[in-house]
Amino acid sequence: MDKEELKQKIIQIMEEKVKKGGKTKIYLKDLQREIPDANPREIKNAANELVREGKLEYFSTGSTVMFGLPGVGMGLEAGVEKPE
Amino acid sequence: MGEVKKHDTPKVDQLKTGPWPSFVDDIYSYAEKHKKQACFDIMGQMELSYINRETHWKHGGIVGVFGYGGGVIGRYSDQQEKFPAIWAFHTVRVHHTAGKWYHTAALRKLCDMWDNRGSGIVNFHGSTGDIILLGTVTDQLEPIFFDLTHQLHWDLGGSGSNLRSPACCMGKSRCEWALVDVQELDYELTMAFQDELHRPAFPYKFKFKFSACPLDCVASVARADMSFIGTWRDDIRIDQEAVRAYVRGELKPNAGAFSDRDWGPFDIKKEVIDLCPTKCMYWDENEQKLYINNSECNRCMHCIAVMPEALRPGQDTGIAILIGAKAPILEGAQLSTLIVPFMKVESPYDELKDFIYKAWDYWMENGKNRERIGELIQRIGLNKFITEVMGLTPIPQHVRVPRDNPYIFWKEEEVEGGWTRDVAEFRKRHPA
Repeated sequence: MDKEELKQKIIQIMEEKVKKGGKTKIYLKDLQREIPDANPREIKNAANELVREGKLEYFSTGSTVMFGLPGVGMGLEAGVEKPE
Repeated sequence: MGEVKKHDTPKVDQLKTGPWPSFVDDIYSYAEKHKKQACFDIMGQMELSYINRETHWKHGGIVGVFGYGGGVIGRYSDQQEKFPAIWAFHTVRVHHTAGKWYHTAALRKLCDMWDNRGSGIVNFHGSTGDIILLGTVTDQLEPIFFDLTHQLHWDLGGSGSNLRSPACCMGKSRCEWALVDVQELDYELTMAFQDELHRPAFPYKFKFKFSACPLDCVASVARADMSFIGTWRDDIRIDQEAVRAYVRGELKPNAGAFSDRDWGPFDIKKEVIDLCPTKCMYWDENEQKLYINNSECNRCMHCIAVMPEALRPGQDTGIAILIGAKAPILEGAQLSTLIVPFMKVESPYDELKDFIYKAWDYWMENGKNRERIGELIQRIGLNKFITEVMGLTPIPQHVRVPRDNPYIFWKEEEVEGGWTRDVAEFRKRHPA
Protein backbone atom coordinates (compact mmCIF):
# COMPACT_ATOMS: atom_id res chain seq x y z
CA MET A 1 0.00 0.00 0.00
CA ASP A 2 1.56 3.32 -1.00
CA LYS A 3 1.39 6.41 1.17
CA GLU A 4 -1.52 8.07 -0.65
CA GLU A 5 -3.59 4.88 -0.43
CA LEU A 6 -2.74 4.59 3.24
CA LYS A 7 -3.79 8.18 3.89
CA GLN A 8 -7.09 7.60 2.11
CA LYS A 9 -7.65 4.42 4.10
CA ILE A 10 -7.00 6.28 7.38
CA ILE A 11 -9.52 9.00 6.53
CA GLN A 12 -12.02 6.35 5.42
CA ILE A 13 -11.64 4.47 8.74
CA MET A 14 -12.09 7.65 10.76
CA GLU A 15 -15.19 8.70 8.78
CA GLU A 16 -16.76 5.24 9.03
CA LYS A 17 -16.26 5.21 12.79
CA VAL A 18 -17.98 8.57 13.12
CA LYS A 19 -20.85 7.50 10.82
CA LYS A 20 -21.47 4.42 12.94
CA GLY A 21 -21.63 6.60 16.03
CA GLY A 22 -18.29 5.39 17.28
CA LYS A 23 -15.41 7.33 18.77
CA THR A 24 -14.40 10.58 17.14
CA LYS A 25 -10.86 10.44 18.56
CA ILE A 26 -8.74 7.33 18.26
CA TYR A 27 -5.28 6.20 19.25
CA LEU A 28 -2.59 5.40 16.70
CA LYS A 29 -2.80 1.78 17.89
CA ASP A 30 -6.48 1.66 16.88
CA LEU A 31 -5.52 2.73 13.36
CA GLN A 32 -2.82 0.08 13.27
CA ARG A 33 -5.35 -2.54 14.34
CA GLU A 34 -7.69 -1.51 11.50
CA ILE A 35 -4.91 -1.68 8.87
CA PRO A 36 -3.05 -4.86 9.79
CA ASP A 37 -1.29 -5.21 6.44
CA ALA A 38 0.57 -1.88 6.78
CA ASN A 39 3.70 -1.28 8.82
CA PRO A 40 2.99 0.67 12.06
CA ARG A 41 5.74 3.15 11.23
CA GLU A 42 4.18 3.86 7.81
CA ILE A 43 0.77 4.36 9.44
CA LYS A 44 2.35 6.79 11.90
CA ASN A 45 4.04 8.72 9.10
CA ALA A 46 0.84 8.85 7.03
CA ALA A 47 -1.31 9.97 10.00
CA ASN A 48 1.16 12.69 10.92
CA GLU A 49 1.27 13.86 7.33
CA LEU A 50 -2.54 14.09 7.34
CA VAL A 51 -2.27 16.36 10.39
CA ARG A 52 0.18 18.60 8.54
CA GLU A 53 -2.29 18.77 5.65
CA GLY A 54 -5.08 19.75 8.05
CA LYS A 55 -7.17 16.64 7.33
CA LEU A 56 -6.67 15.20 10.82
CA GLU A 57 -5.94 16.87 14.14
CA TYR A 58 -4.22 15.80 17.32
CA PHE A 59 -6.07 15.61 20.64
CA SER A 60 -3.90 15.19 23.72
CA THR A 61 -4.32 14.73 27.43
CA GLY A 62 -0.66 15.55 27.96
CA SER A 63 0.29 11.92 28.49
CA THR A 64 -1.07 10.37 25.29
CA VAL A 65 -2.17 11.64 21.92
CA MET A 66 -5.21 10.73 19.85
CA PHE A 67 -6.15 11.57 16.26
CA GLY A 68 -9.50 13.01 15.16
CA LEU A 69 -11.20 14.61 12.18
CA PRO A 70 -11.20 18.42 12.50
CA GLY A 71 -14.55 19.80 13.61
CA VAL A 72 -15.97 16.37 14.48
CA GLY A 73 -16.82 15.45 18.05
CA MET A 74 -15.34 17.34 20.98
CA GLY A 75 -13.29 20.29 19.72
CA LEU A 76 -9.88 21.20 20.99
CA GLU A 77 -11.29 23.73 23.41
CA ALA A 78 -14.79 22.34 23.88
CA GLY A 79 -16.38 23.46 27.10
CA VAL A 80 -13.66 25.95 27.79
CA GLU A 81 -14.91 29.25 26.52
CA LYS A 82 -12.93 32.33 27.29
CA PRO A 83 -14.99 34.41 29.74
CA GLU A 84 -16.11 37.90 28.69
CA MET B 1 -2.08 47.96 33.25
CA GLY B 2 -5.35 47.77 35.21
CA GLU B 3 -5.83 47.04 38.88
CA VAL B 4 -4.98 43.54 39.98
CA LYS B 5 -7.08 41.60 42.46
CA LYS B 6 -5.39 39.64 45.20
CA HIS B 7 -7.31 36.77 46.77
CA ASP B 8 -7.42 35.87 50.44
CA THR B 9 -5.21 32.75 50.79
CA PRO B 10 -4.63 31.83 54.47
CA LYS B 11 -3.95 28.14 53.81
CA VAL B 12 -1.52 28.75 50.98
CA ASP B 13 0.19 31.44 53.08
CA GLN B 14 1.06 28.82 55.70
CA LEU B 15 3.55 27.41 53.21
CA LYS B 16 5.61 30.56 53.71
CA THR B 17 6.21 29.81 57.37
CA GLY B 18 8.47 26.77 56.97
CA PRO B 19 12.28 26.89 57.04
CA TRP B 20 12.52 26.13 53.31
CA PRO B 21 12.32 28.59 50.40
CA SER B 22 8.68 28.97 49.46
CA PHE B 23 7.24 29.11 45.95
CA VAL B 24 4.35 31.09 47.46
CA ASP B 25 6.71 33.93 48.38
CA ASP B 26 8.29 33.77 44.93
CA ILE B 27 5.00 33.86 43.05
CA TYR B 28 3.52 36.66 45.19
CA SER B 29 6.61 38.85 44.98
CA TYR B 30 6.77 38.34 41.20
CA ALA B 31 3.02 39.00 40.86
CA GLU B 32 3.22 42.24 42.83
CA LYS B 33 6.26 43.49 40.97
CA HIS B 34 4.87 42.74 37.50
CA LYS B 35 1.15 43.22 38.33
CA LYS B 36 0.33 39.73 37.00
CA GLN B 37 -3.29 38.81 37.69
CA ALA B 38 -2.65 35.21 36.53
CA CYS B 39 -0.20 34.70 39.41
CA PHE B 40 -2.74 36.00 41.99
CA ASP B 41 -5.46 33.86 40.42
CA ILE B 42 -3.36 30.72 40.54
CA MET B 43 -2.79 31.23 44.26
CA GLY B 44 -6.52 31.81 44.68
CA GLN B 45 -7.39 28.61 42.86
CA MET B 46 -4.83 26.69 44.91
CA GLU B 47 -6.44 28.00 48.11
CA LEU B 48 -9.79 26.78 46.83
CA SER B 49 -8.29 23.36 46.08
CA TYR B 50 -6.93 23.18 49.63
CA ILE B 51 -10.40 23.99 51.00
CA ASN B 52 -12.27 21.58 48.70
CA ARG B 53 -9.49 18.98 48.70
CA GLU B 54 -9.78 18.48 44.97
CA THR B 55 -8.20 19.88 41.86
CA HIS B 56 -9.84 22.63 39.84
CA TRP B 57 -7.85 21.96 36.67
CA LYS B 58 -9.23 20.18 33.69
CA HIS B 59 -7.03 19.16 30.83
CA GLY B 60 -6.95 17.70 27.34
CA GLY B 61 -7.35 19.12 23.89
CA ILE B 62 -4.64 21.58 23.03
CA VAL B 63 -1.60 19.73 21.85
CA GLY B 64 0.85 22.16 20.56
CA VAL B 65 1.76 24.29 17.69
CA PHE B 66 1.16 23.56 14.03
CA GLY B 67 2.93 20.37 12.93
CA TYR B 68 4.00 19.41 16.44
CA GLY B 69 2.23 16.61 18.29
CA GLY B 70 3.67 17.51 21.66
CA GLY B 71 5.39 20.14 23.74
CA VAL B 72 2.25 21.96 24.90
CA ILE B 73 -0.15 20.57 27.47
CA GLY B 74 -3.59 22.15 27.65
CA ARG B 75 -4.77 23.20 31.11
CA TYR B 76 -8.06 24.96 31.87
CA SER B 77 -9.54 26.18 35.12
CA ASP B 78 -13.01 24.95 36.04
CA GLN B 79 -13.42 28.14 38.13
CA GLN B 80 -13.29 30.59 35.26
CA GLU B 81 -15.70 33.10 36.81
CA LYS B 82 -13.66 33.38 39.97
CA PHE B 83 -10.25 33.26 38.30
CA PRO B 84 -10.62 34.63 34.75
CA ALA B 85 -6.90 35.28 34.25
CA ILE B 86 -6.20 31.54 34.37
CA TRP B 87 -9.16 30.36 32.29
CA ALA B 88 -6.45 28.77 30.15
CA PHE B 89 -3.12 28.05 31.75
CA HIS B 90 -1.23 25.87 29.26
CA THR B 91 2.15 24.35 30.00
CA VAL B 92 4.94 24.70 27.45
CA ARG B 93 7.80 22.21 27.60
CA VAL B 94 11.08 23.63 26.32
CA HIS B 95 13.78 21.15 25.40
CA HIS B 96 16.71 21.43 27.83
CA THR B 97 20.32 21.30 26.66
CA ALA B 98 22.53 18.22 27.11
CA GLY B 99 23.84 18.26 30.68
CA LYS B 100 21.63 21.31 31.38
CA TRP B 101 24.28 23.92 30.65
CA TYR B 102 22.83 27.32 29.77
CA HIS B 103 24.30 30.67 28.94
CA THR B 104 22.84 33.30 31.24
CA ALA B 105 22.07 35.50 28.22
CA ALA B 106 19.94 32.70 26.75
CA LEU B 107 18.04 32.30 30.01
CA ARG B 108 17.47 36.06 30.29
CA LYS B 109 15.98 36.13 26.79
CA LEU B 110 13.79 33.12 27.57
CA CYS B 111 12.55 34.78 30.77
CA ASP B 112 11.89 38.09 28.97
CA MET B 113 9.82 36.24 26.39
CA TRP B 114 7.88 34.43 29.11
CA ASP B 115 7.29 37.64 31.13
CA ASN B 116 5.73 39.05 28.00
CA ARG B 117 3.77 36.07 26.66
CA GLY B 118 3.00 33.95 29.71
CA SER B 119 2.42 33.98 33.44
CA GLY B 120 6.14 34.39 34.18
CA ILE B 121 6.17 31.20 36.25
CA VAL B 122 8.82 28.64 35.27
CA ASN B 123 9.96 25.30 36.63
CA PHE B 124 13.61 24.30 36.26
CA HIS B 125 13.26 21.41 35.48
CA GLY B 126 10.26 19.10 35.13
CA SER B 127 10.54 15.40 35.92
CA THR B 128 11.43 14.45 32.36
CA GLY B 129 14.06 17.16 32.23
CA ASP B 130 12.51 19.96 30.19
CA ILE B 131 12.28 23.58 31.22
CA ILE B 132 8.59 24.00 32.06
CA LEU B 133 6.92 27.30 31.26
CA LEU B 134 3.73 27.30 33.31
CA GLY B 135 0.67 29.17 32.20
CA THR B 136 -0.28 30.84 28.95
CA VAL B 137 -3.38 31.22 26.80
CA THR B 138 -4.12 29.55 23.47
CA ASP B 139 -3.64 32.73 21.41
CA GLN B 140 -0.06 33.01 22.61
CA LEU B 141 1.05 29.48 21.64
CA GLU B 142 2.10 30.16 18.05
CA PRO B 143 3.87 33.46 18.91
CA ILE B 144 5.72 31.66 21.73
CA PHE B 145 6.77 28.92 19.32
CA PHE B 146 7.96 31.47 16.76
CA ASP B 147 9.96 33.39 19.37
CA LEU B 148 11.46 30.19 20.79
CA THR B 149 12.51 28.68 17.49
CA HIS B 150 13.27 31.66 15.27
CA GLN B 151 14.66 34.17 17.73
CA LEU B 152 16.00 32.26 20.72
CA HIS B 153 16.87 29.02 18.85
CA TRP B 154 15.26 26.70 21.39
CA ASP B 155 12.84 23.90 20.61
CA LEU B 156 9.82 22.35 22.28
CA GLY B 157 10.27 19.14 24.26
CA GLY B 158 8.26 15.94 24.04
CA SER B 159 4.86 15.14 25.52
CA GLY B 160 2.02 12.74 24.74
CA SER B 161 2.82 9.49 22.94
CA ASN B 162 6.13 10.84 21.73
CA LEU B 163 9.75 10.28 22.52
CA ARG B 164 10.22 12.54 25.54
CA SER B 165 13.18 14.93 25.69
CA PRO B 166 16.30 12.78 26.24
CA ALA B 167 18.36 13.78 29.31
CA CYS B 168 21.92 13.11 30.43
CA CYS B 169 24.29 13.88 33.30
CA MET B 170 27.06 16.49 33.08
CA GLY B 171 29.37 13.75 31.81
CA LYS B 172 32.79 14.71 30.57
CA SER B 173 32.10 18.43 30.95
CA ARG B 174 32.67 18.19 34.71
CA CYS B 175 33.10 14.66 35.92
CA GLU B 176 36.32 12.66 36.07
CA TRP B 177 34.33 9.42 36.23
CA ALA B 178 32.56 9.91 32.93
CA LEU B 179 33.25 6.79 30.89
CA VAL B 180 31.50 7.83 27.69
CA ASP B 181 30.60 11.20 26.21
CA VAL B 182 26.92 11.14 27.11
CA GLN B 183 26.37 14.74 26.09
CA GLU B 184 27.36 13.90 22.53
CA LEU B 185 25.27 10.72 22.66
CA ASP B 186 22.28 12.66 23.98
CA TYR B 187 22.64 15.33 21.28
CA GLU B 188 23.17 12.82 18.49
CA LEU B 189 20.12 10.70 19.38
CA THR B 190 17.97 13.79 19.97
CA MET B 191 18.78 15.04 16.48
CA ALA B 192 18.39 11.59 14.91
CA PHE B 193 14.93 11.02 16.42
CA GLN B 194 13.38 14.47 15.82
CA ASP B 195 10.34 12.93 14.16
CA GLU B 196 9.64 10.65 17.13
CA LEU B 197 10.17 13.61 19.49
CA HIS B 198 7.72 15.95 17.83
CA ARG B 199 5.09 13.68 16.32
CA PRO B 200 3.15 10.93 18.09
CA ALA B 201 4.62 7.57 17.19
CA PHE B 202 4.12 5.14 20.03
CA PRO B 203 1.45 3.41 22.14
CA TYR B 204 2.55 5.63 25.07
CA LYS B 205 5.46 7.76 26.29
CA PHE B 206 9.09 6.70 25.79
CA LYS B 207 12.06 8.14 27.67
CA PHE B 208 15.83 8.02 27.12
CA LYS B 209 18.28 8.85 29.91
CA PHE B 210 22.06 8.75 29.75
CA SER B 211 24.46 8.38 32.68
CA ALA B 212 28.17 8.50 31.99
CA CYS B 213 29.03 6.02 34.75
CA PRO B 214 27.27 3.39 36.86
CA LEU B 215 26.80 5.83 39.78
CA ASP B 216 23.89 6.98 37.59
CA CYS B 217 23.46 10.56 38.81
CA VAL B 218 20.42 11.09 36.54
CA ALA B 219 18.76 7.97 38.05
CA SER B 220 18.23 6.59 34.57
CA VAL B 221 17.54 3.13 36.00
CA ALA B 222 14.40 4.48 37.67
CA ARG B 223 13.30 7.14 35.20
CA ALA B 224 13.83 5.93 31.65
CA ASP B 225 12.24 3.36 29.38
CA MET B 226 15.69 2.95 27.89
CA SER B 227 18.72 3.77 30.06
CA PHE B 228 22.24 4.12 28.66
CA ILE B 229 24.92 3.85 31.32
CA GLY B 230 28.66 4.24 30.84
CA THR B 231 30.62 1.13 31.85
CA TRP B 232 33.83 -0.77 31.06
CA ARG B 233 34.72 -4.36 30.20
CA ASP B 234 38.38 -4.68 31.22
CA ASP B 235 39.65 -4.75 34.81
CA ILE B 236 39.34 -2.17 37.57
CA ARG B 237 42.69 -0.43 37.91
CA ILE B 238 44.12 -0.85 41.42
CA ASP B 239 46.80 1.23 43.12
CA GLN B 240 47.65 -1.10 46.02
CA GLU B 241 49.70 1.55 47.83
CA ALA B 242 46.70 3.92 47.82
CA VAL B 243 44.45 1.09 49.10
CA ARG B 244 46.85 0.65 52.03
CA ALA B 245 46.80 4.42 52.60
CA TYR B 246 42.99 4.27 52.93
CA VAL B 247 43.28 1.33 55.34
CA ARG B 248 45.86 3.21 57.45
CA GLY B 249 43.51 6.22 57.55
CA GLU B 250 45.81 8.49 55.55
CA LEU B 251 43.22 9.10 52.83
CA LYS B 252 39.61 10.06 53.50
CA PRO B 253 37.03 7.60 52.15
CA ASN B 254 34.56 8.97 49.56
CA ALA B 255 37.02 11.86 49.04
CA GLY B 256 35.85 13.30 52.35
CA ALA B 257 32.23 13.59 51.25
CA PHE B 258 30.91 12.24 54.58
CA SER B 259 33.46 13.88 56.89
CA ASP B 260 30.93 16.21 58.54
CA ARG B 261 30.59 13.75 61.40
CA ASP B 262 32.85 11.14 63.00
CA TRP B 263 32.12 7.72 61.52
CA GLY B 264 35.12 6.13 63.25
CA PRO B 265 38.20 4.74 61.50
CA PHE B 266 37.80 3.47 57.95
CA ASP B 267 37.02 -0.26 57.87
CA ILE B 268 37.67 -1.67 54.39
CA LYS B 269 35.87 -4.94 55.17
CA LYS B 270 32.71 -3.29 56.47
CA GLU B 271 32.55 -0.37 54.05
CA VAL B 272 33.79 -1.98 50.85
CA ILE B 273 34.29 -5.75 50.82
CA ASP B 274 31.03 -6.70 52.60
CA LEU B 275 29.00 -4.21 50.55
CA CYS B 276 30.14 -5.60 47.20
CA PRO B 277 26.90 -6.92 45.63
CA THR B 278 28.62 -9.83 43.86
CA LYS B 279 31.17 -10.58 46.65
CA CYS B 280 33.95 -10.42 44.09
CA MET B 281 36.44 -8.58 46.34
CA TYR B 282 38.88 -9.86 48.94
CA TRP B 283 41.18 -7.91 51.26
CA ASP B 284 44.17 -9.98 52.40
CA GLU B 285 45.07 -8.64 55.82
CA ASN B 286 48.45 -10.41 55.92
CA GLU B 287 49.56 -9.39 52.45
CA GLN B 288 47.84 -6.00 52.84
CA LYS B 289 46.57 -6.49 49.30
CA LEU B 290 43.19 -6.09 47.58
CA TYR B 291 42.03 -8.74 45.11
CA ILE B 292 39.12 -8.27 42.65
CA ASN B 293 37.62 -11.08 40.60
CA ASN B 294 36.69 -8.85 37.67
CA SER B 295 34.74 -11.56 35.85
CA GLU B 296 32.17 -11.51 38.69
CA CYS B 297 32.10 -7.72 39.12
CA ASN B 298 28.84 -6.13 37.94
CA ARG B 299 30.39 -2.64 37.69
CA CYS B 300 28.29 -1.00 40.43
CA MET B 301 31.25 1.27 41.19
CA HIS B 302 30.63 1.43 44.95
CA CYS B 303 34.24 0.45 45.76
CA ILE B 304 35.56 3.08 43.33
CA ALA B 305 33.38 5.78 44.88
CA VAL B 306 34.63 4.88 48.39
CA MET B 307 38.33 4.73 47.43
CA PRO B 308 38.67 7.02 44.39
CA GLU B 309 42.43 7.41 44.69
CA ALA B 310 43.03 3.66 44.88
CA LEU B 311 40.57 2.30 42.32
CA ARG B 312 39.68 3.49 38.86
CA PRO B 313 37.38 2.05 36.20
CA GLY B 314 38.92 0.13 33.31
CA GLN B 315 39.91 1.84 30.08
CA ASP B 316 37.93 -0.21 27.54
CA THR B 317 34.71 1.77 27.92
CA GLY B 318 31.23 1.64 26.37
CA ILE B 319 27.62 1.58 27.52
CA ALA B 320 25.24 -0.84 29.17
CA ILE B 321 21.63 -0.67 27.96
CA LEU B 322 18.73 -1.23 30.33
CA ILE B 323 15.05 -1.21 29.38
CA GLY B 324 11.75 -0.86 31.13
CA ALA B 325 11.64 1.58 34.07
CA LYS B 326 8.29 3.21 34.81
CA ALA B 327 6.18 4.81 37.50
CA PRO B 328 3.23 2.86 38.94
CA ILE B 329 0.13 2.61 36.78
CA LEU B 330 0.11 -1.12 36.06
CA GLU B 331 1.87 -3.60 38.36
CA GLY B 332 3.62 -0.92 40.41
CA ALA B 333 6.83 0.99 39.81
CA GLN B 334 9.61 -0.83 38.03
CA LEU B 335 13.36 -0.30 37.59
CA SER B 336 14.86 -1.01 34.20
CA THR B 337 16.35 -4.41 33.43
CA LEU B 338 19.81 -4.95 32.00
CA ILE B 339 19.47 -6.12 28.40
CA VAL B 340 22.90 -5.38 26.88
CA PRO B 341 25.79 -5.50 29.39
CA PHE B 342 28.28 -3.80 27.07
CA MET B 343 28.20 -2.05 23.72
CA LYS B 344 30.98 0.01 22.17
CA VAL B 345 29.60 3.38 21.08
CA GLU B 346 31.17 5.61 18.49
CA SER B 347 29.71 8.30 16.29
CA PRO B 348 27.46 7.96 14.26
CA TYR B 349 26.09 5.32 16.70
CA ASP B 350 24.53 3.15 13.98
CA GLU B 351 24.57 -0.06 16.04
CA LEU B 352 22.82 1.74 18.88
CA LYS B 353 20.20 3.27 16.58
CA ASP B 354 19.48 -0.17 15.06
CA PHE B 355 19.01 -1.56 18.58
CA ILE B 356 16.57 1.25 19.44
CA TYR B 357 14.58 0.82 16.22
CA LYS B 358 14.30 -2.93 16.84
CA ALA B 359 12.79 -2.36 20.31
CA TRP B 360 10.49 0.40 19.01
CA ASP B 361 9.27 -1.61 16.01
CA TYR B 362 8.19 -4.50 18.22
CA TRP B 363 6.58 -2.21 20.78
CA MET B 364 4.73 -0.20 18.09
CA GLU B 365 3.35 -3.43 16.63
CA ASN B 366 2.61 -5.37 19.81
CA GLY B 367 2.21 -2.81 22.59
CA LYS B 368 -1.31 -2.04 23.79
CA ASN B 369 -2.68 1.46 24.15
CA ARG B 370 -0.93 3.16 27.09
CA GLU B 371 1.37 0.19 27.65
CA ARG B 372 4.99 1.10 28.42
CA ILE B 373 7.71 -1.09 26.97
CA GLY B 374 8.55 -2.37 30.49
CA GLU B 375 4.98 -3.59 30.85
CA LEU B 376 5.16 -5.25 27.44
CA ILE B 377 8.31 -7.12 28.55
CA GLN B 378 6.50 -8.20 31.73
CA ARG B 379 3.59 -9.46 29.64
CA ILE B 380 5.58 -11.45 27.08
CA GLY B 381 8.47 -12.44 29.36
CA LEU B 382 12.06 -11.25 29.47
CA ASN B 383 13.24 -14.47 27.82
CA LYS B 384 11.15 -13.88 24.71
CA PHE B 385 12.08 -10.21 24.58
CA ILE B 386 15.82 -10.89 24.72
CA THR B 387 15.94 -13.84 22.35
CA GLU B 388 13.10 -13.45 19.85
CA VAL B 389 12.54 -9.70 19.82
CA MET B 390 16.05 -8.35 20.19
CA GLY B 391 17.83 -11.40 18.78
CA LEU B 392 20.36 -11.47 21.62
CA THR B 393 21.93 -14.44 23.35
CA PRO B 394 20.86 -14.53 26.99
CA ILE B 395 23.52 -14.65 29.69
CA PRO B 396 23.20 -16.20 33.19
CA GLN B 397 22.96 -12.73 34.75
CA HIS B 398 19.66 -12.18 32.90
CA VAL B 399 18.11 -14.90 35.08
CA ARG B 400 16.71 -13.43 38.28
CA VAL B 401 15.65 -16.74 39.83
CA PRO B 402 15.87 -20.31 38.51
CA ARG B 403 12.54 -21.56 37.14
CA ASP B 404 10.19 -23.23 39.62
CA ASN B 405 7.66 -24.31 36.99
CA PRO B 406 8.44 -27.88 35.84
CA TYR B 407 6.45 -27.61 32.61
CA ILE B 408 8.47 -26.87 29.53
CA PHE B 409 6.76 -25.84 26.33
CA TRP B 410 8.87 -26.93 23.39
CA LYS B 411 8.86 -25.28 20.02
CA GLU B 412 8.50 -27.52 16.98
CA GLU B 413 12.05 -26.89 15.80
CA GLU B 414 13.42 -27.95 19.18
CA VAL B 415 11.81 -31.42 19.01
CA GLU B 416 13.38 -34.18 16.93
CA GLY B 417 10.99 -34.96 14.08
CA GLY B 418 8.85 -31.91 14.93
CA TRP B 419 5.09 -32.35 15.37
CA THR B 420 4.82 -34.69 12.38
CA ARG B 421 6.34 -37.86 13.85
CA ASP B 422 4.39 -41.10 13.55
CA VAL B 423 2.74 -41.54 16.96
CA ALA B 424 1.50 -45.08 16.07
CA GLU B 425 5.09 -46.09 15.33
CA PHE B 426 6.20 -44.46 18.62
CA ARG B 427 3.51 -46.37 20.57
CA LYS B 428 4.69 -49.68 19.12
CA ARG B 429 7.92 -49.13 21.00
CA HIS B 430 6.42 -47.29 23.99
CA PRO B 431 2.95 -48.64 24.92
CA ALA B 432 0.77 -46.05 26.63
